[in-house]
Amino acid sequence: MNPPSDRPTAPAGTPDLELLRKFEPVVYYTKGEQFFPTEVEGYVRESSLWEHHPDGRDELLVKQGELTLEKLIETRPAEFGSIRYLRFVENLNLAEAAQVLADQTLLRIRLGNYFHAGIGRLARGGFLPRLVDGLFSLSFLLRGKVSAADAAAAEIDYNEIFELNPKYTYYGRVTRQNGWVMLQYWFFFCFNSWRSGFHGVNDHESDWEMVTVYLYEDNGQLIPEWAAYASHDFHGDDLRRRWDDRSQLDLEDGHPVVYAGAGSHASYFRRGEYQAAVNLPLPGWFSGLVRSWNKLWTDMLGQPPVNTLRIPFVDFARGDGLRLGPGGPQAWSPVMIDESTPWASQYRGLWGYFAKDPISGENAPAGPMYNRDGTPRSSWYDLLGFAGLDKVPTPPHAMDMLRENCSKVSHRQEELGKLIPQKAGELQALGIKSKGMEGNPHLAKQYAALEKEIASLSTEVRGLRREQSENAALLQGLTQRLERMQAGLQDDPHAHIRNLAVPDSTAQALRFDRAAETWAAVSLSLLLFAVAALILFVPKYIWAGLLVIFILFVVTESVLRGAFVQTVGRITLLLAMAATIILFLHFWKWIIVVALVAMGISLMYQRLRELTG
Amino acid sequence: MAKKRKKSSRKKSPIAVTIIAVAIVVLFLIRLYQVFEPLIRSNVFQSGLAGPFFTGWKLTAMGKILLSSITYLVLSLAGIVVLIGFLRLHRWSWVLLMAWTGISLVISLVDYFYTRANYAVMASNVIIAFALNMTDVQQIFGIRRRDEPTL
Repeated sequence: MNPPSDRPTAPAGTPDLELLRKFEPVVYYTKGEQFFPTEVEGYVRESSLWEHHPDGRDELLVKQGELTLEKLIETRPAEFGSIRYLRFVENLNLAEAAQVLADQTLLRIRLGNYFHAGIGRLARGGFLPRLVDGLFSLSFLLRGKVSAADAAAAEIDYNEIFELNPKYTYYGRVTRQNGWVMLQYWFFFCFNSWRSGFHGVNDHESDWEMVTVYLYEDNGQLIPEWAAYASHDFHGDDLRRRWDDRSQLDLEDGHPVVYAGAGSHASYFRRGEYQAAVNLPLPGWFSGLVRSWNKLWTDMLGQPPVNTLRIPFVDFARGDGLRLGPGGPQAWSPVMIDESTPWASQYRGLWGYFAKDPISGENAPAGPMYNRDGTPRSSWYDLLGFAGLDKVPTPPHAMDMLRENCSKVSHRQEELGKLIPQKAGELQALGIKSKGMEGNPHLAKQYAALEKEIASLSTEVRGLRREQSENAALLQGLTQRLERMQAGLQDDPHAHIRNLAVPDSTAQALRFDRAAETWAAVSLSLLLFAVAALILFVPKYIWAGLLVIFILFVVTESVLRGAFVQTVGRITLLLAMAATIILFLHFWKWIIVVALVAMGISLMYQRLRELTG
Repeated sequence: MAKKRKKSSRKKSPIAVTIIAVAIVVLFLIRLYQVFEPLIRSNVFQSGLAGPFFTGWKLTAMGKILLSSITYLVLSLAGIVVLIGFLRLHRWSWVLLMAWTGISLVISLVDYFYTRANYAVMASNVIIAFALNMTDVQQIFGIRRRDEPTL
């Protein structure tokens, strides 16, 4: 098999660092991004080390300014249930918080680094998801969170670190498994500012992101076949794109291009604005009720499925900001890591503040090798499985394996070709024997045993025939695939993708975009004001008022979104369902009687028609 | 030679359209009853309309009767207009009827919880709402495309 001529290659014996450099990615950030990949040393030097004990105490282990990578991995016994974490930004009092927020504004003016959201995320979802989003925002009152002042302080600190050491670092790792050579690029950020900077889901100190390039060896050359980017909401096969898939993977001079989400740093293959949705954490019984309702709504009423309990968030991967990587002014500073790198393997704690958020969104992540709970991270130890490649052989092996499979199935077909007539003959002989026994009561016992033997052999023959038929179909498929591969025809590069991340196109769908955005921003507050007015002025009609106001808000929203007809239909349907329940509660006896009589008449009509021909 | 029969260009209405039309007529009759019943009860047809209808900014009993009769009359007439559009399978009539049914259901539900419900109106509206939601009805009125998958 010849390697594709348009792909960059590297000799099989290329040293790891050179290999990493050969295929290192080009990353485009969004204008307004505040944090870029940096070295862990500077971050650790600016951090303190803490231990959260199961009784709720937080204990300072190493003060800020005294911590080094060596001190980070010193052995310190800890009790079960304790959590070790770094703290990049120390506690700020009110005056300090105000100061850092002011400094942050000055810094952004100095750097000219602004972000404009454009069509906001709230305008991209409907009124109900926005209502749920309000609850999500309120949930931060109960959950632990990283404050806006912490984000501002982190931005200022990161810029100070960068000024001392102006480098963009990735941590590279090369591993070999099942014929694949995997180049892993880890990016460390001081802070994830998705919520505070870009209206996203969460903020947390430190962030680790990862990109992997999968190579295979053919004729002494290493050839890239897949690129996989870590991203929200996607797993396994959906994370990878084939090297020749020009519609899904951009390349610049043989380097894969990554578009990083603003603040979240999640990696995307295409430039754009992505809707990431967050499911509200709900109790199991409630989720069951929602599922039943959705089933009724879609299956019985023929309505499109809706999930109002998902909150829309936008991940801005516009790629209009800083460009990092080969071929541009900002190059990478690579650092090799592996299991023997002490800070990577021996520090299992969090790389930033432990916000005590029960759903973990605001807690800092652990290092590249571990999950937040200290267990090994699959994207480190199972790089093939991580991108769904554990079942995929390298292209040169694929052909051999396919041939082997074809030959195995053909061989089995030959076996079956001999076995089936032999077994069928035996079955016929037994059948003749059993016929001879019929009408002879003294042979009853032998007859019963023979019947059993016939039944068992008959099942076996049936099974063999089924196998032969299935194998014929399988062999046909395998042979066709082998022929296609031998002719050099490639599979559809998207065949493995189940959920494709597609940039959002709501901006085009909104009819009156400015009005819709304004409405999206103020509608929830207006609803609360209207409810307050109802309580104050017409408390007697509070429920009726709520119903009417809610419907009015939803209808207004639908006009702005160009979905009036569908919305009116759905609201009326919901009202009709409520009215049906009321009617049933009042007239259930009559409804049952009428239904029974109608069924009786229908049955009688059918039977009489049958009778009269 | 047998004459080739000309294919009718008229769209065939599903049975639900007939059911809806009947329900609209029933509602029209109920509304008509609601127009005349209070007027008859107040002997308006014997002694004529006698004011005053307002005391200051508030409506008198006769004013309220007159207002409710006029409202129901407008609703009845609107129902007739919708019925005509509906029988001619116009898209706007589907939208108007659905909106009208929705408003009517809101009034019925509010009445149910605060005063006295009119179950006949409620039931008619429920039938209309479910019938309007049927896929073939939506398709014939151009609300749902024919190639749209039915869930």
